[in-house]
Amino acid sequence: MAPSGAPALECRDVSVSYGPVAALSGVSLRLAPGLIHAVCGQNGAGKTTFARVASGLVRPNRGALFISGQEVATGNVARARAAGVELVHQSFALPPSFTVAEAMEFGAEKGTPIYSRRGLEARWKQHLENLGVRVRLRDRIRDLAVEQQQGVEIARALVAEASVLILDEPTAVLSPTGVEMLFDRLRNLKAGGVTILLILHKIREVLGVADTVTVLRGGKLVEGPLPAGDTTPQLRLAHAIVGSAAEQALSGADEAALTGAEGRDLGASVEPVASVPATPAGPVALEIAGASTRADPEGPALADIDLAVGRSEIVGVAGVEGNGQRTLVRMLANLADLQSGRIALAGTDVTRGALAARRGAGLRIIPFERNTEGLSLASSLWENWSARQLLFGPLLKLISPAAWRRDCDLSLKQWDVRYATTTQPAGSLSGGNAQKLILAREVDADASLIIAAQPTRGLDVGATAFVWKSLRAARERGCGVLLISSDLDELFDISDRLIVMLSGRIVAEFRPPYSLSAVGAAMTGAR
Amino acid sequence: MMLKGRLITVGRAIAFVLLALILCGIVFQLAGYSAKEMFQSIADGAFLNPGAWKNSLRWALPLFITACGVAISFRCGFFNVGAQGQFYLGAIGATFVVDFMAGWPAFVVIPLAFLAGILGGAIWALWPALLRVRSGTDEVITTLMGNFIAGLVLIYVCSGILKDPSGTGQVMASRPVSPAFRISTNSGLSPTIIGIVIVVGVAMWLLVNRTAFGVLSSLAGRNPIMVVWQGAKLSRLGIAGFVLGGALAGLAGTIEVLGPNGRLVSGFLPAHGFTAILIALVASLSITGTAIVSLFFGGLAAASLYLPVLAGLPSAAIDIINAAIALFITARTVPGLARLAARRRASGST
Repeated sequence: MAPSGAPALECRDVSVSYGPVAALSGVSLRLAPGLIHAVCGQNGAGKTTFARVASGLVRPNRGALFISGQEVATGNVARARAAGVELVHQSFALPPSFTVAEAMEFGAEKGTPIYSRRGLEARWKQHLENLGVRVRLRDRIRDLAVEQQQGVEIARALVAEASVLILDEPTAVLSPTGVEMLFDRLRNLKAGGVTILLILHKIREVLGVADTVTVLRGGKLVEGPLPAGDTTPQLRLAHAIVGSAAEQALSGADEAALTGAEGRDLGASVEPVASVPATPAGPVALEIAGASTRADPEGPALADIDLAVGRSEIVGVAGVEGNGQRTLVRMLANLADLQSGRIALAGTDVTRGALAARRGAGLRIIPFERNTEGLSLASSLWENWSARQLLFGPLLKLISPAAWRRDCDLSLKQWDVRYATTTQPAGSLSGGNAQKLILAREVDADASLIIAAQPTRGLDVGATAFVWKSLRAARERGCGVLLISSDLDELFDISDRLIVMLSGRIVAEFRPPYSLSAVGAAMTGAR
Repeated sequence: MMLKGRLITVGRAIAFVLLALILCGIVFQLAGYSAKEMFQSIADGAFLNPGAWKNSLRWALPLFITACGVAISFRCGFFNVGAQGQFYLGAIGATFVVDFMAGWPAFVVIPLAFLAGILGGAIWALWPALLRVRSGTDEVITTLMGNFIAGLVLIYVCSGILKDPSGTGQVMASRPVSPAFRISTNSGLSPTIIGIVIVVGVAMWLLVNRTAFGVLSSLAGRNPIMVVWQGAKLSRLGIAGFVLGGALAGLAGTIEVLGPNGRLVSGFLPAHGFTAILIALVASLSITGTAIVSLFFGGLAAASLYLPVLAGLPSAAIDIINAAIALFITARTVPGLARLAARRRASGST
């Protein structure tokens, strides 16, 4: 582990501020060559900014950048690339309509102005094969699975003999098997001498692949680089990530989720999840019987879905993304084309009911897309907050906006949303606060079934814990919760029951204690 | 925050209008006219000459009514650019009533004429709305084409069924409206008209700022996907906004016929609806703003009559100024086009 010669990447005293906000302050870090390094931290800890400084996308206000011992001008992508640093972005940037070969050629250094499709494919076939990316070069990017897209993206980054490869949250979009594939790929690259810098926030994944781990918090380097491995104290890392202020707020269960599946061995500190009766008495919150839909623009058709969610029950929906979870939510919102079957909410048949009627029966939705389906970003907080209730009233009755703003103010304070005034646009809120605004609107006393679709995606630990607490509280009030998530740790931690979707069907059902391998197998259909 | 946001909006609108005026000043100066004289005569004709404000008000009042309708339909996210056609159909509807019920008492005919005018405008907005909601036809195209059809219908009725047989034949027009049915003299200012404008203005302000419809339609205009997920019927909001916009344009057409015009003239006020769209956009779709901006554009319309006399400029100079303002305002409204695309995606899922 002892670094031989110059570090592959070194930052000295790097500070970045966006206006009054310091994103990074005085971060100095040396990364030894030929290893996999991980940088951890919450949202807003400065991870992505750090990656951008290292790859030349952001010019720091202060500090210097050295690549393989050579100082490189900061804030210059071309210089950083020439020195061998490549960044793979969090959200992929490949044009969906390109073929794999075209995507590889696009942006490559030694491109030719005129090319033939066949020539391109010949040119890039070997490169992709060497990296173990098995795709057909004539396939279009949009037809590839996410894992393959990421493979192509990484291969593209490695075209120009990169010596340092930076990946920003590469596992966010991957299934558990995809994550393993990625890690294998990274280990192969490491064996080939590439230095890898991973920006990650899940400790379990970090410890599974990285050689060293560094923790950022509030833009400062608070821990590391520590050697990563079985002996690394997970809780120490977890606390370094979360910091002391939020530490008291972190329940055992949340800590377990943060540190990963192994964390559940913490025993007594974990909230018992099976404390409610498995088959609740009285009317169930949701009953779907034999529901099938047409293929939906946002996912495969649902086939013969039977699902009941009891009152005071949280049912988790696991599955690799794109296996019908979105169609399921859209069907419940009456936005997908139901062909057969029956849907009942709290004992009321709503099979033919419009979404407004279903909401009247107690349906509440925290949709997948916070910024499009959940909120109107250009509209004010109070308008977003009051939309659900206003829709129930007569449209032409005179209302008092001042009264609504007051109610909104009270509600948002209760939900601990950080904002200046209820007239500011929703787009000015951070991700966590925006999600709390949606919760404040959707989680009310009249709710009988809450659909929470990826409710914690992109949220930091504190906000995540808050969302979970809210969902648990809703359960205690007798509300049914249908939680769709791609984060198995989250599902394992909070679900009273877990179903797995594959290709538009429910293929398995689990009760706690959950087995990662069994659920993973069901998700990939590998039973 | 809210106040600051509003000040920015207002400041930006003023800046755009000033930029447009400066641009026009440069263009006219280069074309050999005197920019100074032009601005002077605009200011005189619009506001400074004795009685000029009355003339400005005469133009501003109907524009305000139409612009309110445009603002409401735009707020719902439906780009109804057919105000001109809806204005014509309203005028035609009202003329039919006063022409064919000539012998009836005024207290029957005038309300019926208003009803016919409002219905005419509403119907001319209804069919693009239904096409949009039923089959996703782009309302910008249907309403725009509807303007041309309405213009031809106007020529058709003026030269046919409503034609004034005693006319000179140079300008085709209907028979003059019987003085008993007129709601103002040629000056276009009367307590009736001012009263109607105040009622419409207050009602529309309340609708936009003090009802659930106002809040929800503004949410829908900014993010239709979000209100669909809240369970709103986007199509109903859209049709309501559309038809209301058409009805108001029809009302403005009725006022023009029963008021200052006193008859239906083929091809009259060909820019009324478009100026109203401009007013709504400059006012950022606010009703209060629309009232103020209407006064400004009313002033420009009044001044266009003075320009040839005072500055030796063609009155089309005012059209050029309007076009320049439109240019700057459109540049600002480009995000609206992005919204249009978002709506397309949303309508695929309703």
